Amino acid sequence: MGGAQRNARKQKQKQTQAAKAVAAARGTSNDRAKVIVGVIVVVVLAAAVVGGVLYQKNKANQRAEATIAPKHVAAANYPVRVDNGTVLAGKEDAKITVDLYEDFLCPVCGQFEKRDGDKIQQQLNAGTVKFRYHIIDLLNDRSNPPGYSQAAGNAALCAAEGGKFPDYHLSLYDAQPQEGGRGYDNVQLGGLGKALGMGDAFTNCVNSGKYSGQVQQQYDAASSNPALQQDTGQGGKAFGTPTVAVNGKTLNWSDPNWLDNLVKTGTAG
Amino acid sequence: MASVSPRLLDAIGTLVRLGLAAVWLVAGGIKAADLNQNYLAVKAYRVLPDAWVSPVSAAQPFVELALGVLLLLGIGVRAVSVLSAVLLLLFIAGVAQSWARGLTIDCGCFGGGGQVSASQTRYPQEIARDVGFLALAVWLAVRPRTWLSVDGWLRRDQHALVDVPEDAGDADGGTEEEPASPARAQEGR
Repeated sequence: MGGAQRNARKQKQKQTQAAKAVAAARGTSNDRAKVIVGVIVVVVLAAAVVGGVLYQKNKANQRAEATIAPKHVAAANYPVRVDNGTVLAGKEDAKITVDLYEDFLCPVCGQFEKRDGDKIQQQLNAGTVKFRYHIIDLLNDRSNPPGYSQAAGNAALCAAEGGKFPDYHLSLYDAQPQEGGRGYDNVQLGGLGKALGMGDAFTNCVNSGKYSGQVQQQYDAASSNPALQQDTGQGGKAFGTPTVAVNGKTLNWSDPNWLDNLVKTGTAG
Repeated sequence: MASVSPRLLDAIGTLVRLGLAAVWLVAGGIKAADLNQNYLAVKAYRVLPDAWVSPVSAAQPFVELALGVLLLLGIGVRAVSVLSAVLLLLFIAGVAQSWARGLTIDCGCFGGGGQVSASQTRYPQEIARDVGFLALAVWLAVRPRTWLSVDGWLRRDQHALVDVPEDAGDADGGTEEEPASPARAQEGR
């Protein structure tokens, strides 16, 4: 009996030792699995961060290398000049003057140009309407990096000085950058001027930011003018782009016939 | 927890894991599809220095996608859930500070984002939603065991390796029911 008991105890001890070894073995293999999982988690997250940043950099670099394609309006036979920080386009004897407030980054301004650009050119050529472009930098901080609105506004005024405003204006809207994306820098804005046949005076004007201050002033003046505030559609009133005004009164440009009606009646109604 | 069947808890945990994975995949996917919009959304919080807005807005959608994929596959569920909870707390803090400072923004949680008019802000709803997601993350951080996970597969794999001698020794007193955590394996000896 005694011997059997001792044997049993020995047996039990052996088993315990075996169990301990197993436990130890399991501990290490579990650690290894944990390390593997940890490495996977870290690698996947690091790849996400690095990949995201590189992807965005790459997209921005592509935009930086892009050139703005020159576009031409159908024969413009009306004078254009810079007038006190605005661009005044149209024949002197035109009876109606329309004030346009726009920002080259503003998507709705792009849609407006697409829809009504040709009609506006027709009226300018016909000599019925003068257009005063208030080019403002409302969305100056909405490009990445910020500053496109102002740079584009400055360049457009430079183009007015250089005699190519209608083409320049059309080209910028035709190749309009997205909000939140990279805009065009002065090199690209200067390149468009060259492609449209302007010389060093234009390039210098762009690079020196000759009209940047006036673009900003136009924005300050417009946004603080109570007559230019419009319903936002959500109960509030605010200034936004595009805004169309005649004789200091805003006009509902979302009606596609606004210009025809204006020419017919001669007033903002 | 002991009074509730572990199988039920596993089932709930699995749903929680897949639910949180779906949240991250959808949120990250929408943002990744429009990084420009996400730049505006991140910028609108007015928290980060200008130089950080761009890289953070570029990386964030892919981090969310990564968390979603890891949760979907069940890789490192506890760690990923803790990270999810941290990220959600940051989002809640971001929305709360916008609210407190009187900014009028959309959180951009699932795309969109940026400035909105004062009457369009939905801060309480946005915070409530994020708190709901945070609850999912906390569940998984506390109890990461779920079905159909790589974590579980790795555990079972080890268990199979060591089960044979264990059964032969019969030293374990029938804890086979729970293929178990490391602490479990070493206790009672």
